[in-house]
Amino acid sequence: MTVAPPTSTPGSSVVEVDHVSRWYGNVVAVNDISFSLRPGVTGLLGPNGAGKSTLLHMLAGLLRPSSGRVNVFGQTVWRNPGLYARIGLVPEREAVYSFLTGREFVMLNARLQRMPDADRATAAAIRTVDLEGAADRAIGTYSKGMRQRAKIAGALVHDPQILLLDEPFNGMDPRQRLHMIALLRTMAAEGRTILFSSHILEEVERLADSILVLFAGRLAASGSFREIRRLMTDRPHTFHVRSSDDRRLAAALVGETAVFGIDLSSGRLAVSSSEFGAFTRLLPRVARDARITLLEVTPTDDSLESVFAYLVRR
Amino acid sequence: MTVFATIVELTLRALLGRRRTVLLVLLAALPVLVALLARVSGRTPEEATLFDAMVRTVLPLVALVFGTSALGSELEDGTAVYILAKPIRRAQVILAKAGVAGSLTGGLVVASTLGSGILAGGTLATTVGFAVAAAVAAFAYVVLFLAASVFTGRALILGLIYTLVWEGALAGILEGTRQFSIREATLSLAAALAPAGSGIQGGLELGGAVGLVAVVIAGGLALAIWRLAGWEVRGSD
Repeated sequence: MTVAPPTSTPGSSVVEVDHVSRWYGNVVAVNDISFSLRPGVTGLLGPNGAGKSTLLHMLAGLLRPSSGRVNVFGQTVWRNPGLYARIGLVPEREAVYSFLTGREFVMLNARLQRMPDADRATAAAIRTVDLEGAADRAIGTYSKGMRQRAKIAGALVHDPQILLLDEPFNGMDPRQRLHMIALLRTMAAEGRTILFSSHILEEVERLADSILVLFAGRLAASGSFREIRRLMTDRPHTFHVRSSDDRRLAAALVGETAVFGIDLSSGRLAVSSSEFGAFTRLLPRVARDARITLLEVTPTDDSLESVFAYLVRR
Repeated sequence: MTVFATIVELTLRALLGRRRTVLLVLLAALPVLVALLARVSGRTPEEATLFDAMVRTVLPLVALVFGTSALGSELEDGTAVYILAKPIRRAQVILAKAGVAGSLTGGLVVASTLGSGILAGGTLATTVGFAVAAAVAAFAYVVLFLAASVFTGRALILGLIYTLVWEGALAGILEGTRQFSIREATLSLAAALAPAGSGIQGGLELGGAVGLVAVVIAGGLALAIWRLAGWEVRGSD
């Protein structure tokens, strides 16, 4: 290969996604998304089927956008294999060459990246992901977590400047997750650009400096994790409350500013609040002051999907 | 180790490590077994009949399995990403894959041809001529099927239709279909390479046979490289 790796201007965006959409027939998988990535860790958060893998594959040059453009280091990534010298990709699909050992698989990646000392690079990558004990076993005998680590070692072996990881923590036990989170944080601190997808909020919270929230193919929110988390937490919540006297509790709550809706029409008390934290402190206090016993408090819309749907509607 | 050699080694291990390879070896050994059984039972097997069976069944079927799985299996299960997300030319990938699948097919078919030819007791020149033609045809078939596997996940079915329907049933009814038949080209090449009176007959002129094989190999490789350069990963959510 004679394609020279591109260079980036210091401080410029490493990845530029400009009004990108991707559709399959009548189904829109990714809908008019724009963002840019700079060095650091960015989490791509969204429920299953949100379009995370489609977006990552377009960023990796493995899918052509139906419209819009994806640039990496200022160059279009589609049909530009020279860029792979600076990109490491960990796909979500589990299929790996099961007849190879972990070491052979990482070595394969090193050789295809034309590493001058493939043996040393392979050994270093295997050590980095803590796979030394199983490196000489066939990948077909690996657990899911071990296979993930082998895939990550293969993506790291050429020391890429961009790492794209699709659900990288799938199958890892808590110790392996912590190890991998520390590793990715270190790599980001060294100036690399890391984008990983996840449908688990806590994973993103632990690792990402900034996040992109994807829902139904649309970019529901983007920015610092702290800001998005606040939006998620302070969104309107509805609770079903069962108490010793629902009607009197409703009357006591109606004057509180944290409460903006009360409904008794379905035969049970439904309370809507715009401030999650304030309401969870308020409710027991109001019930105690009114000498009412709380029997059950159930949030009605706490699934991640409802959180994402709210962010899209904002 | 070069990138090309790395892909060759990976493909060899992938193809030889499969259970179906044992079945292909058994299939390629069939003409030899038939010739051997004929010898044991005191009969003289006809060389031309054995070669005809070779070109009708063994050669296209072995090429079909190796050709469609050399790259097609990896494209289907997603492992091709580990090769394609690398800074390497797509031509290298296609040439390495076609080279391995063609060599394996050619190797099996040539061994089978030589074995059955010697057991049949025919002339060595005829056997060698047929083996050379079969080896060339192995690459043509493999490239055709490999190219099909880059375009579609149903390359195996398409390949079966081509060999069984186009080259088999239709060739007997519509003579024109022979102009695009690798089988006829193989027989014509073998007839040209073997001495006169070998009993091998092809449905094409020598020039047409050479041209067809050349177009299939060159065109198939070019199409496969072009298609692989724009290959899109399957199964994104």
